[in-house]
Amino acid sequence: MAAVTLTNVVKRFGTFEVVHGANIDIADGEFVVFVGPSGCGKSTLLRMVAGLEDISGGEIAIGGKVVNDVEPADRGIAMVFQSYALYPHMTVEQNLSFGLRMNGNPKADTQRRVKRAAEILCIDELMQRRPKQLSGGQRQRVAIGRAIVREPQVFLFDEPLSNLDAELRVQMRVEISRLHKELGVTMIYVTHDQTEAMTLADRIVVLKAGNVEQIGAPLDLYDDPANRFVAGFIGSPKMNFIAAQVVDLSNSAATVELVNHGGARLRKPLCGPLPAAGAEVVLGVRPEHFFEAGEGDCDIPVKADVAEHLGSVSYVYADAGPEELIIEREARRQRASSDRFTVSIKAERSLLFDKTGARIR
Amino acid sequence: MRYRNATAYRFLTPYLLIFAIFWIWPIISSFLISFQATRTVPWRFAPTFNWGRLIGDPAFFNALKNTLLILVIQVPVMISLAVVMAVLLNSPLLKARGLYRFAFFAPVVVGEVAYSAVFRLMFSLDFGIVNKLLNSVGLEKIDWFSNVTPAMALIMIAVTWRWAGYNAIIILAGLQSIPDDVYEAATLDRVSKLRQFFYITLPLLKPVIVFCAVLSIIGTMQLFTEPFLITERGGPGGGTETLGLLLYRQGFRSLNFGYASAIAYTMAGLAIAITLVQLWLTREPK
Repeated sequence: MAAVTLTNVVKRFGTFEVVHGANIDIADGEFVVFVGPSGCGKSTLLRMVAGLEDISGGEIAIGGKVVNDVEPADRGIAMVFQSYALYPHMTVEQNLSFGLRMNGNPKADTQRRVKRAAEILCIDELMQRRPKQLSGGQRQRVAIGRAIVREPQVFLFDEPLSNLDAELRVQMRVEISRLHKELGVTMIYVTHDQTEAMTLADRIVVLKAGNVEQIGAPLDLYDDPANRFVAGFIGSPKMNFIAAQVVDLSNSAATVELVNHGGARLRKPLCGPLPAAGAEVVLGVRPEHFFEAGEGDCDIPVKADVAEHLGSVSYVYADAGPEELIIEREARRQRASSDRFTVSIKAERSLLFDKTGARIR
Repeated sequence: MRYRNATAYRFLTPYLLIFAIFWIWPIISSFLISFQATRTVPWRFAPTFNWGRLIGDPAFFNALKNTLLILVIQVPVMISLAVVMAVLLNSPLLKARGLYRFAFFAPVVVGEVAYSAVFRLMFSLDFGIVNKLLNSVGLEKIDWFSNVTPAMALIMIAVTWRWAGYNAIIILAGLQSIPDDVYEAATLDRVSKLRQFFYITLPLLKPVIVFCAVLSIIGTMQLFTEPFLITERGGPGGGTETLGLLLYRQGFRSLNFGYASAIAYTMAGLAIAITLVQLWLTREPK
């Protein structure tokens, strides 16, 4: 087990910089998820930790030791690849034991480690099969097993579930979570799926275009995002953003007018620096934070466009002037399209962002 | 559906007719000719005449021995060389990869007569560059054309020069289909580059290498150009005569079509048999 520290880590491909000075501290035994849209640099960051990509600047330390110039095999890490990267010509048993055999590990110890990994992942029955004779989920288990037999200090997962169907993904998610509890080692997991991030992580690192946007526990990011990007990326369905303008400032509060909703106003108490009067701002409201008319601080009329009924809840995609809002409604299964209704917003359940996307607290 | 099939066959008919006349019929016809004595007029049906001669003909066994010798020495050497060339071509460190790829492939498109003439000049006893190089490092000149062993070596060198690059390009395609992350996984497993080559690259290239070997076996069984042009019709004294050359000599110089047909079928049979044995030996375990 080991802590992982990234200090001002930079990655350039030629002159093109893709990671701009990442600073991340991962505690011993912690499960950290790097999440962000495609091209944000999360896989590159993981591959730099693994040693599969050179580091253009900064330092990476594993277990307190700087590993910038340490060979991948000597970093005490094991990696599970998105495409599994199993050796196609070897049986499951050979796949699991290959690295140990190549390094002259004692036969008895190799057998012990392979047996243990097979038991943990319930793949005992598959040992003599080849990868092409396995399902996607089984292949993923073997790939994880190959990481387990190395008995690493740090596990690295590069989008390991993205090739699986939805049902299997949920199942494997639970298994990875269980594995983390059982092994208690540090795990770094890369995904673009915020649901995976929310369900697996002790802490999430949100990345955008090579920058770390925010690091925090899943619910902290959900409830208290640092900026509009994190607010929109974390949560499904995503947060609604409503254009607004500051019309009054008084007693540590800003009154904003929702510009596309007939002059509806909301007084939002703030604890930080106040925005300028007349500033254009954005009000963020999660789908489940719309209330019945009159229950909140500000009512806005909407027209239902499409409704998704998921059983326990329904999501109504509603037109509100030029903006489309996603509204979570309970017990509204019978609501038809084109219904007009009014929803209410509470100041305490909304977030305010400035024009650049920074949070106004 | 049946009407659509009929229409398709009507479009195919011109091709099928030409295929039947110029491919199928000659194959059947030569098989029938192999059972006829063709040195008499008119030809007469004599089922054992050519096949019986084949079994006891020293010229046939000499050509068979030469062909198999080239096959067991040259083909493995050439395929091994092609694998090495493909790995080098695939190296990310290599600059001007396209140029090398073209250079390796170029011998295939060079005219056979031209390249044979160049080889004869290069290996000439008195003014060939090869003997000059041997002399310059203190070795004696070799008479490549008058002694059987050097002549045979020359044929093998020439065939290897001509086809190694071609096979390397095919193997390169196979190499490029091996995903990078398999090697990355091996790197994380602390497997050295050399061991990665023997334990990952070669096993994963096996289907492509088998394919190249099958093509080479078929090609070698039909080998004709090099012994005909470079060592002057299988010289010295039939020392480099191959089955292809014997077939040509019997069919088109002695006009003994029956015997030539029997040789042709023997060549095809041997190529199929060797290929089947090879495919069986290199089959994927179930």
